Amino acid sequence: MKVKINGKLYNGNTGETLMELAKRNNIYIPNLCHKKGFEGQGRCRLCIVEINDGGKTKIVSSCVYPIKDGIEVSTNSDKIIKIRKNIILLLLLRTPNNDTIKSLAKEYNVDIHYKYLDNKKKENCILCGLCVEACDKLGTKAISLVNRGTTKKVSTPYDDASKDCIGCAACVEVCPTDAISIDDKNGKRTIWNRTFNLVSCSICGKYFTTYEALKYTDDKLNIEKENQICNSCKRKEISKKFKESFKNTY
Amino acid sequence: MKIDSSIDYNETIKIIRKYPNEKKFTLAILQDIQKEYGFIPKEVMTKISDYLNIPLSDIYSMSTFYKALSLKEKGKYIIKVCNGTACHIRGSNSLIEELTDILNIAPEETTEDGLFSIEIVNCLGACALAPVMMVNGKYYGSMTKEKVKTVIDEYRGLEHEQ
Amino acid sequence: MNNSNRKILVCCGTGCLANNSFEVYTKLKEKLKDTKIAVQPLVKATGCNGLCEKGPVVKILPDDISYFKVSTKDVDAIVEKTILNGEIIDKLLYYDTNEKKKLISHKDATFYKHQQKISLRNIGEVDPLLIEDYLERDGYKALRKVLFEMTSEEIIDVIEASGLRGRGGAGFPTGSKWRTCYKYNNFPKYIVCNGDEGDPGAFMDRSIMEGDPNTVIEGMIICGYAIKSHKGYLYIRDEYELARKNMQIAIDNAKKHGYLGENIIGSNFDFDLEIVRGGGAFVCGESSALMASIEGNVGEPRAKYIRSVEKGLWNQPTILNNVETWANIPPIISNGAKWFKSIGIENNSGTKVFSLVGKVKNTGLVEVPMGTKLRELVFDIGGGIIKDRPFKAIQTGGPSGGCIPKEHLDISLDFDSLSNIGSMMGSGGVIVMDDTTCMVELARYYMEFLSEESCGKCTTCREGIKIMLEILTNITKGEGELEDIELLLDLSETISNASLCGLGKTAPNPVITTIKYFKDEYIDHIVNQKCNAGICKKLTSYYIEEEICIGCGLCAKKCPTNAITGIKKEPHIINADICVKCGACFTNCPTGAVKIGGVVVESKN
Repeated sequence: MKVKINGKLYNGNTGETLMELAKRNNIYIPNLCHKKGFEGQGRCRLCIVEINDGGKTKIVSSCVYPIKDGIEVSTNSDKIIKIRKNIILLLLLRTPNNDTIKSLAKEYNVDIHYKYLDNKKKENCILCGLCVEACDKLGTKAISLVNRGTTKKVSTPYDDASKDCIGCAACVEVCPTDAISIDDKNGKRTIWNRTFNLVSCSICGKYFTTYEALKYTDDKLNIEKENQICNSCKRKEISKKFKESFKNTY
Repeated sequence: MKIDSSIDYNETIKIIRKYPNEKKFTLAILQDIQKEYGFIPKEVMTKISDYLNIPLSDIYSMSTFYKALSLKEKGKYIIKVCNGTACHIRGSNSLIEELTDILNIAPEETTEDGLFSIEIVNCLGACALAPVMMVNGKYYGSMTKEKVKTVIDEYRGLEHEQ
Repeated sequence: MNNSNRKILVCCGTGCLANNSFEVYTKLKEKLKDTKIAVQPLVKATGCNGLCEKGPVVKILPDDISYFKVSTKDVDAIVEKTILNGEIIDKLLYYDTNEKKKLISHKDATFYKHQQKISLRNIGEVDPLLIEDYLERDGYKALRKVLFEMTSEEIIDVIEASGLRGRGGAGFPTGSKWRTCYKYNNFPKYIVCNGDEGDPGAFMDRSIMEGDPNTVIEGMIICGYAIKSHKGYLYIRDEYELARKNMQIAIDNAKKHGYLGENIIGSNFDFDLEIVRGGGAFVCGESSALMASIEGNVGEPRAKYIRSVEKGLWNQPTILNNVETWANIPPIISNGAKWFKSIGIENNSGTKVFSLVGKVKNTGLVEVPMGTKLRELVFDIGGGIIKDRPFKAIQTGGPSGGCIPKEHLDISLDFDSLSNIGSMMGSGGVIVMDDTTCMVELARYYMEFLSEESCGKCTTCREGIKIMLEILTNITKGEGELEDIELLLDLSETISNASLCGLGKTAPNPVITTIKYFKDEYIDHIVNQKCNAGICKKLTSYYIEEEICIGCGLCAKKCPTNAITGIKKEPHIINADICVKCGACFTNCPTGAVKIGGVVVESKN
């Protein structure tokens, strides 16, 4: 399958999305809700591009658009830049004090001295849904998207301390805007209104995760309790096992 | 206000068991629960989650997404004021004002005696009779401020009789 | 008087029920039981007659007498005078405001004369709960024809050749949808009826489901047979209790009579239908959200680059049509594609049901051939504007549609003409507005509606609508700036281009069209601080024109705050400090002496 992106031809695979093809060829299309393993949400809309399909042009979001033979894609046309600037403006109006969004706004020359901008707003979440996806993939499903329309948010049921949460902080890991509040202090972690006891590393002695998360991983991997070793001591190994656990479960 | 402990869970189980434990029946079960209790009690949500083997967060997500479902207990008489376009341009706002005045509650709230709740809904599909309101499923067409009072008095009267 | 073939039809559609038609029905039955007539006339509860505002409607056949606004108090007279003695009761007859006279048969009314009924053909004529009534009017004949005489291709050919386009909104050709789905060899396939009818102002689907549920069932089975599907779902709005009830009874009866279920009328074809209650979310009218909802998920739409005819319900090939579309299928099969194509205009064949509501004299459901002029709809069928006030605009297509100003009154009502001027057919809600409707406030109203009804999934729809609502609210409060208009248009472009689903893509339409056709109203609000319609209270004041006031005192009597003073037969005065701007004086003044001013009180005193 041949796809022309910004004037150059690329070979695409059947079933591949435009975003995947672009990533494979190191073409950058801005995005916030797209991450390896959590593709195809189409929430943030930043990845819109203009395509020409047999003479007809239309705007599509590249993270969910399955490529077609012969299409011509423009990732940076004037129209796309103009719309993308407005999308960033909309995100900025929602989260005026968020660093990620602020730097995006700067990069795209979005005017921040805008009359409808409320600088007192403390919101950081752009509702990209990645945290919910990550929690789902892990199989814990402690959080979900709640409400609808302009009142939509991410939360646990009834905003309570969730019995399903294991305090693993995978949600924090994937969040593009550092919106999830996590507090590790005095051997305790507070996240999603629940406080967990942290486990210290048997090698370096640092607190590194929660008992619940360790137990959950061990159960999933079906292994006997090993020495509790922290991320920095055994990061690579654990992350390898984590990935395997995804594969085995899903 | 009823609290969760006063809920007859045998009834809950009966409602849930009417349906096979398949995901596609989640909304139907929730609606039956809503009909039975007037809202979705917390404990019941957990029971549905267990029965369907669906995470509580998903059921909660649905319960807060669909307007037919409510997490708060509603009054005995649910007054739905239609604010569809036809009703809007024929003055549904004045009905809402009158209701909030008479009942002394805001839309989406319930009176202290648990009798009335006001809901603003988007279209009741009786646009030819605009503005329209509905009390527990009964339509009241071509409403005016004056008629609002009569309707409320009618229901208050019913209470006194009982 | 021969009562053996007499029928008394009482409308029991939602509109008439609201005016106690069921009590009229019950009382009529009781009264007749007590009356000594050799052969009892048949009393039937039917679906909606269309003219809901004048309900309850009682029709007597074959005499062809129609009574309107009938109350239980009239029952005795109807039986004693009309049924027993053939006398006509004058006060219950319909007064035609166009013809300026009373009419015995409703068919002679201007409201009905211009109509041609295809999808509403049985409504008001049959008892929706009796399959026998449907069968008597050639019901399930089309089904018999396809099951025993036609192949899949032949059925699809007929639907395609008829030129039928989906009545739910976008007007996609139904036949080509069926053909694409038919080609996929991926089973099971599903048939879905969209009965979620969320557009405020539209209620034809409710009326069809309540008044003639069998036609929907028959249409769906025909499609099932054509594309080789054995399972259909009816997604019906949560608020439509009567529609769900009648539909369920019709399904059960169809099963009992062998028209639904296994081996349908001995043809070896199996098809089953299931009702799914909607959850109360406007976005579920969007096909992918509707399907997500049926599957037991939150009704969030997904990107539709792969169409639902290929991957729909549970990722299987699915045909989704709305109620009115399904109701057109049996007559097309029975009468042929040529017949259907001969009605309406090119590329827009057949009829369309409109719900004519708002500030129009005759409100109700109307079915007219495609291509009927808007003027005919509003002024002939609708009888013109209430109190003969000036016509300002109509709104079609609900929150996804747009406003059409009086300059376009002669537009042809069809899919293409409406979208050419920035509105859309939508499901056929026609909301008529007069000079007391504020277009800026209307745009604000739609944004408020959508801010609740957007699913909130994508940035542009969720955040875009939110900020548009904020800007419009400011303008209606007199806090807008001229550059806000440009900003609204700029944001509109972004939202319609970059949103994920149809709801978001069309959400800015009410704003775009009101700015296009009523920019001066925006400017009035922003620059002159004035709402000419008297709707935006912060930008409204009332004053009395001295030369016109006859001093009748009606305004003072109606004023809830005693803000109006004056001596009888002399011009009255409104005290602006006490006035709460309720508009009671304005609405009640018999001479039009009460005028609407801007934020600054205009008074000659």
